[in-house]
Amino acid sequence: MRRALAFLRSAVSFPAVSLGVGVAALTAPATAATLFMGSYPDRILAFDEDKGAITGSMRLETGLPTSMQSSQDGKKIYVTTITTSGIEVIDTATRQITNRFSLNDGATKYRFSSGAPDAAGNFFYTIVTRIDKGTDKYTVGKPQYAKIDLKRQTIVQTADVEEKDERSGGGRAALKVSPDGRFLYVFGKKILVVDTADLKVVERIDLAKPDGTGMENVGFGRALDAIDASGQFVSLFNATDPYVHNKVFGVARFDLNSRRFDFAPIGPAPESMAGLQVAPDGKEAYTVVTTGKYGNKRCEFWRFDLAESRVLDKAEFQCRSRFTFGLSGDASKLYIYGASYDIEVYDARTLKHETTWDLGHDTTGAGMVVVR
Amino acid sequence: MKHLKPINRKARRIDDLVASMDEDVVALAQPRPHVPMGCSLSFSPGWEVDASGGTAGLCQPVERDIYDCYVTCFWPVQVPDHVNYSADWASNCAAATKDWRSLDLVFP
Repeated sequence: MRRALAFLRSAVSFPAVSLGVGVAALTAPATAATLFMGSYPDRILAFDEDKGAITGSMRLETGLPTSMQSSQDGKKIYVTTITTSGIEVIDTATRQITNRFSLNDGATKYRFSSGAPDAAGNFFYTIVTRIDKGTDKYTVGKPQYAKIDLKRQTIVQTADVEEKDERSGGGRAALKVSPDGRFLYVFGKKILVVDTADLKVVERIDLAKPDGTGMENVGFGRALDAIDASGQFVSLFNATDPYVHNKVFGVARFDLNSRRFDFAPIGPAPESMAGLQVAPDGKEAYTVVTTGKYGNKRCEFWRFDLAESRVLDKAEFQCRSRFTFGLSGDASKLYIYGASYDIEVYDARTLKHETTWDLGHDTTGAGMVVVR
Repeated sequence: MKHLKPINRKARRIDDLVASMDEDVVALAQPRPHVPMGCSLSFSPGWEVDASGGTAGLCQPVERDIYDCYVTCFWPVQVPDHVNYSADWASNCAAATKDWRSLDLVFP
């Protein structure tokens, strides 16, 4: 906590400087993209943004997708499924399943809802709960960090999640592996840094993902919706000052290899926020801020200038009871989807509704992966 | 606060109240209990009302919300359980709002 607050205090003095360093590294050309979306009952849809139509569909033999994670080069998508506790790997160029297996084995079953591959694609890290069926009872294990060998298609190493960390992340936390493969980051109520050699927590950082709206973050596979370039992870986080405990939100940048981070506060933390969606050029970003509940619920798009760390624009829109927020590959469109079979499309510049795309399939909590 | 001791009945009641919050009986208390299987201890309202007793917090229409409850067992009484016994319930119905008539029948 002390370390996080020290960063907070320093960032308050020099927010523009600390953010400006990261922006240059995030620059990338914008191109048309394909959206890969988890859908019912057991499919991944490929959706062409330019055509506004489905161009492919892949059936997952291990069942219903609950999370998706893109490899760092965007060439593979790692999908977790719940029906048989499976993992399937999709080649985004050929749209073929290149690897698939289930962790369930007879009387032993596992529950997990997300995970992250290492950069080499050899191992997949997640948090599992093991359930053993005995002759007279089921034995439910404690949550465990698990290292899955993708070639051997089995769990090769586990370690119990410490009790104090169970509510910090649990099975729904967003996971990310550092480019050098040494650390697993668990982004939950706190940020846990786990050594991948022995699966023990080596550091706890008191920055929290902003509270989501209702169940929209179930699965958390899409919670890693921020950019990562050169081993950097960028997202919105909440922090609290040490004196009056005022909660503020801001942009944090992590160097996943060195475990260093900086945090640039932007303003008082809203009631709830969706994840940060950053444009490919790294200059601007978007989120959805939600206030109120039930009949009083109001939703706004917020557009950020990342270089100057300030909010550029806001606009209210009619939101669903439950939804997920996304951004097109060229950052020209904002997407609202989830808990339905369609995607509502908004113009990223005007923040006005443009059209609605019918997918023909309800989308699952696996969300969306954008491949450029 | 450990250096303070209650010396009258009202203070003892406050002390007891604080101590009761540390008990290990958590079935219906906060923080939420750990329910690893997900499907056996949900007492949330069903399709008819939301947590506030109204309908404004429900998905519109409610069919939009069937599947995530089916998978996560959020409302186990109202919909079948994907994980434990009805994995094929939705196999013929990709969009619940459009073709809910294709949902399978489940008999206990």
